[in-house]
Amino acid sequence: MFAIIAAKDLRVLTRDGRLLWAGGLVVILMLVALAAGWNRQVQLNSERSAGQALDYDAWLHQGYRHPHDAAEQGMHVFKPEPSLAVFDPGIGPFVGSTVWLQAHRQSEVKFRPAQDATGLQRFGELSPAWLLQVLLPLLIIVIGFNSVSDERERGTLRQLLSLGAPTRSLLYGKAAALASCVGILIAPVGLAFAVLIVARLPAGERVDVVYRIAWLAAGYGLYLGFFVFLTLAVSALARSSRTALVLLLGFWVAATLIAPRTASEATNLLHPTPSRLDFDNQLAHDVADAGRKAWSTHFGARTPWDPSVPLSKWGAALKVDDEAGYGALDENFGRLWDTFERQQRAQEWVGLVAPVVALRGFSMGLAGTDFSQHRDFSTAAEAQRRKIQNIVSEDLIEHADRLGNAHFTYKAGPELWATVPQFKYELPSVSFALAHHWASLALLAVMFCLSVALAQFALSRPLMR
Amino acid sequence: MKTMHPRPLSTLSLIVLHEARILVRDRTLLLVCCVLALMVGYGLFVGLAQATLRDRMVSQVLKHEQEVHTANSGTLQSVLAGQTALIPFSNPANPAAMAGTLSGRYATMPNAPLAALAIGQSDMMPNYYRITYLSKVQFMYDTEIENPWNLLSGHFDLAFVIIFVLPLLVTTLGYNLLSAEREHGTLRMLCSQPVSIATLMTGKVVVRMLALLAIVIPLPLVVLLLIRPEARGAEQLVLMLSWSALVAAYTLFWFAVAALVNTVGLSSSTNALIMVALWTILVLILPVTMNLAVGLVSPAPSRTELANRTRVATAESLREYEDLYSADYRYASDPEALLVKNERIEVPSRMRAFFLAKQKVDERIEPLLKRFDQQLLQQQKLVDRLSLLSPAMLVNEALTSIAGTDSHRFLAFKDQTEAFHNEWRQYFSPRIQESRAMTMRDLSSLPRWHWIEIPASEINWSIWWRAMLMLALASVLGGLALARSSRGSIE
Repeated sequence: MFAIIAAKDLRVLTRDGRLLWAGGLVVILMLVALAAGWNRQVQLNSERSAGQALDYDAWLHQGYRHPHDAAEQGMHVFKPEPSLAVFDPGIGPFVGSTVWLQAHRQSEVKFRPAQDATGLQRFGELSPAWLLQVLLPLLIIVIGFNSVSDERERGTLRQLLSLGAPTRSLLYGKAAALASCVGILIAPVGLAFAVLIVARLPAGERVDVVYRIAWLAAGYGLYLGFFVFLTLAVSALARSSRTALVLLLGFWVAATLIAPRTASEATNLLHPTPSRLDFDNQLAHDVADAGRKAWSTHFGARTPWDPSVPLSKWGAALKVDDEAGYGALDENFGRLWDTFERQQRAQEWVGLVAPVVALRGFSMGLAGTDFSQHRDFSTAAEAQRRKIQNIVSEDLIEHADRLGNAHFTYKAGPELWATVPQFKYELPSVSFALAHHWASLALLAVMFCLSVALAQFALSRPLMR
Repeated sequence: MKTMHPRPLSTLSLIVLHEARILVRDRTLLLVCCVLALMVGYGLFVGLAQATLRDRMVSQVLKHEQEVHTANSGTLQSVLAGQTALIPFSNPANPAAMAGTLSGRYATMPNAPLAALAIGQSDMMPNYYRITYLSKVQFMYDTEIENPWNLLSGHFDLAFVIIFVLPLLVTTLGYNLLSAEREHGTLRMLCSQPVSIATLMTGKVVVRMLALLAIVIPLPLVVLLLIRPEARGAEQLVLMLSWSALVAAYTLFWFAVAALVNTVGLSSSTNALIMVALWTILVLILPVTMNLAVGLVSPAPSRTELANRTRVATAESLREYEDLYSADYRYASDPEALLVKNERIEVPSRMRAFFLAKQKVDERIEPLLKRFDQQLLQQQKLVDRLSLLSPAMLVNEALTSIAGTDSHRFLAFKDQTEAFHNEWRQYFSPRIQESRAMTMRDLSSLPRWHWIEIPASEINWSIWWRAMLMLALASVLGGLALARSSRGSIE
């Protein structure tokens, strides 16, 4: 019975113009989004790896120079673009990809593409993930809103039930038909994309990406499944097709468009982000405080760079000064980043009414474009900066400090530059993403089960009204 | 027997009254209006909170600048009187220290008086820069701190309510203007009365539109006038008028679409589907597709290239001033060498090198930075043209320019900042090169920042032009709907 119902519904749906037009549009948009994302990624990755290599090469061949000047010039490091960023660019456009590792200060990741964008940026970015998160639920609603109500209005439901068709078969048959319509649209494109992505990767990274794709498929499956069962439930519960449509569209607007924005505003009130000025002032204050303490313990000086500290101690002083700041930097940046993560965790609860919020976090996480992975990169970049500072300061202590007032006439050569290892950053593995986002997946699963239960309840009610 | 000639106006007012009574009893209108009022209120609250935050930023940085200035004056006075132990990096008599770490000015852009109406680009772009001798790449990309997730979600501001939500509420009120009458069998009865369908539909639209506009237009404007005194100027009132015209024209456009869809003679469900499909295409899909297209047609220069060029330029300038960098540095152990003698001061060669090297870096990457700005301008021009494709894009651009949160204004700020940065350097350059010590007079004659607002006439023209276009579009669609309705069938 299940198969017969599914086959009949599928036939009805495929004959209907709604699926053809709306589905066709979604597929075209999906292809455009994939092509654009692919194009961007190929270009970015080759540019970034070339940039990284050039930068390190310039570091090695900078000739003879005072090591602190070398640290002033520093080095740029680039965040590699995860291969699934084609699918979900996540926060990428809003955080940038380059860190300048220079002396004295921890830099933030800069050059955010969104700063080069026009007012249209506010409407969002066309990505395959956006299509699946926003437009596909709409498509499910549009093709499925009358799948039960229409049968009731035409009187075919009465006939069907009189034949002894169990409601369970009715529900799953209709769900299967709706799901296959969506499947027909996205599965071929998705599969081709997955194969292309995996084939392009070096063998070592393939397994990780395959796992990521599988988890993404599970997450999106639960999300779209939620909409399939919700649509059937509302279609069965509502008095007419018109009411079902209005209710479902209302839910879609509220849950996919309004809730994410409201949630981010609300969590900002709950865990306020500091202003740039407050943050900078606090950081400067903490660094100066730590500096003063360190200078007085090490050199008995009242202030940093006190005239009482001779140049024969400047290498050591640089080291002390830098190291004194590390704690303050870690604490201040850590606090800021914790605030961001707390804001995001608070938003996950909104996933209980608007599953798109939970899905977005999960999708970005698995695609490798979420905040936790950005933080991981920033931390690695800062560790590299400190490595450079330490190497440079040690060398100054050993060589320049001996020269007294001629401290700055000291020049180090290629041997010193070569002791700084090349910055190699490996994107965290899938388990890192899962550890951060399992709660979102669990939430999606709960929402899915709830929608199935609601649909079962709706269809088991007397349908003969 | 005298034939009754229907008087269109009195019939219309009769329909309007009757329709209003039905809608009030039905509670749909009340519900929709409450939802709209709540959203408008919340959107305005978010906009006001952002505007207040940015106001606070500007006043804080200016206060900070004042404090630093006072502290510097005090130190300089005691340095000139020979009272303070001298630290090379924080000696205000030293022009190189004053150009960089010690002083610096803030270039600030105040909120436009109507900033609360749309957040626009203001969360991505800074409204103040700290100007020192540092190179542009070191300060030009600093922005206010914001959770990237929130930037991605976008804000729930008034512009969002108007552009995204308002058309959906229009759809809720208008998808079954005629189809419901047809489905209930009342259309046939109405047609037997001396009333044309066009009049009937006009009456229905008028009630619904007035109800929505009565909330969406006065509510924000009254709140703004009450709590933001700067919104009360004549120029602002004109802007508010154009804002109202735009919102009204945009609402009218969506009602015209609803009316046109209703004249086709399809079922209510199909009408709702068509309206939602149109909304999806015009408000959701077209703008994101155009965003992509703009990036493809007029791509931003590579940020990676900028990073590379910065590195090369930094390396070259460091090399160029190598001799200055590696000179003897006796000042640390011999602070007396930093004393002011005959209005002259020995600028430590290393500090002079810092100044010169940063200046060189800017000269070298200037062309590339210019390309970024030009590209943004070009993109914006493209957006201006493409916005004709979607009313949502058209209205968005106009709403952000009324609020002063559009990219035109930020580009103007960036331009003026760059000019000021150059002025700042030019002020110090001769002093550093000629080893002239800073005097108290110098301290009070440091270059000052003045923001020059974009002339209102420029904005007004582009906004009214857009409002008129929107109105024309709505009239064409509305006219088409009225023409069709007079020929339409009631089945």
